[in-house]
Amino acid sequence: MNCTHAQERFADVLDGRLAAADTAEVRAHLASCPDCQREYSALAQTLAALDTLPAARPGPALRKNFYAMLEEEKNSAASVAAATARHRHQTRASLWRWILTPATAAVLALGGFLLGTRFATPTPAAAPGPDPATARLIADLQARVESVGQLVGMSLLQQRSTSERLQTVLATLDKKNPDQKMISDLIGSLALDPSTNVRLSALDALYPHANQPIVRSGVLATLPREQNPLVQVAMIDFLVAARDRDAAPEFERIIRNDTIDQQVRDAAKRGLAQL
Amino acid sequence: MISAYPDIRAESVPFVFNSAPDAVDAATDTLSDHELMLAVRDGELDALGDLFERHHGPLYGFLVKVTGQRTAAEDIAQTVFQRMLKYRHTYRDDGSFTAWMYHLARRCASDHFRKSNAAPAATDPSQLQDHADDTPNAGDRAATRDDHALLHSALGRLDRDDREVLLLSRFQELSFAEIATILECSVGAAKVRAHRALRELRDTYFQLQKEKLT
Repeated sequence: MNCTHAQERFADVLDGRLAAADTAEVRAHLASCPDCQREYSALAQTLAALDTLPAARPGPALRKNFYAMLEEEKNSAASVAAATARHRHQTRASLWRWILTPATAAVLALGGFLLGTRFATPTPAAAPGPDPATARLIADLQARVESVGQLVGMSLLQQRSTSERLQTVLATLDKKNPDQKMISDLIGSLALDPSTNVRLSALDALYPHANQPIVRSGVLATLPREQNPLVQVAMIDFLVAARDRDAAPEFERIIRNDTIDQQVRDAAKRGLAQL
Repeated sequence: MISAYPDIRAESVPFVFNSAPDAVDAATDTLSDHELMLAVRDGELDALGDLFERHHGPLYGFLVKVTGQRTAAEDIAQTVFQRMLKYRHTYRDDGSFTAWMYHLARRCASDHFRKSNAAPAATDPSQLQDHADDTPNAGDRAATRDDHALLHSALGRLDRDDREVLLLSRFQELSFAEIATILECSVGAAKVRAHRALRELRDTYFQLQKEKLT
């Protein structure tokens, strides 16, 4: 290696960016070349001095101005326009809801009526109620109508921003006696919302109603499909706090499953002991 | 839109279990700069706050050394974040956030110098010394301060391009591939420019030391 080649690599050697073999070659040249030793030493001193330069720290005004600017941008014309566009989208969605939901219900009710008239045996006027087959069909259709309504509701909920969905969930905390629809919406958010924060908040909002069997079974049914360890642990804590013994088999499944996060499995183990 | 960015307003949620808030913070912390900037691009403007907290210190340090002026460095840093917001739609899926930030910083510094028509070498060692060594201790602080002042002067005498490439390669923990992106040149050219700038600095620094002794 000649002096030019060696000197081209000095900065890389000093930075530790050069491969070990190349560094060894440069060092071998340095050992036998006083000129390059002087050059190398001067560069090393310069870099060492550069490294001792203290890092300047900005004053508080920079942070203050930055956050003021951020707020301004959030309220700016462009952001407001985006929000308006989102609102328009929601309005369209809500129009569809008014059209779709009754239409779906009507179709299903008509289907139920037709099926009933076709398959159900005619009953005497004095009969106390429909025969078991018709009752099952009606119950099945009712369940379908309800689940369609719930899915439409959830999909509409999903179209709103994270903070709006969070606000919706938090609003239920203020209500002392939320109705069953609100509770099933919370369970729906816990099961389907893409945001971890919204799911955690929904679980939080369900705590005061943990005495209701529907809430406990809703959380238990959601636990196997939850992927986020944080929410999984929170759900396990919930079921333990609610003393839900039905959760024991699910906890055992979690403990046995190697693919689940270790902290979740530990939480399930602790929970199982407490149950 | 499904949010790619955990909502930091979750702080206001009255969690009843202890582990949750820390873990939510941790989830935000684990997002890369790139993921945060993509969230900003998609309208989650609060994500820029996290990027500001992570990067404004090193960015400001870079700008102080480039301009030699604290006030100018603060103004330019502010402009850099302003442009990030303004041009957030231009951030690319395959981009490097740091490279993009320093690319903007170089542009903003250049605009600043053009507007103020000031020479970039306007280092004011006396101003820098006021802040250079705030820590107590060390008997030879004066000598260190002198040395820092000399180095600032030497940096101030470099061409602005040379000074920028040297500072990027030395202080900002950037790879030469990223530096090449910032400078819009090849990796080889970026290395050559950084090495040349270092040799320039060395010559000027030793020259100033000699002048001081005589």
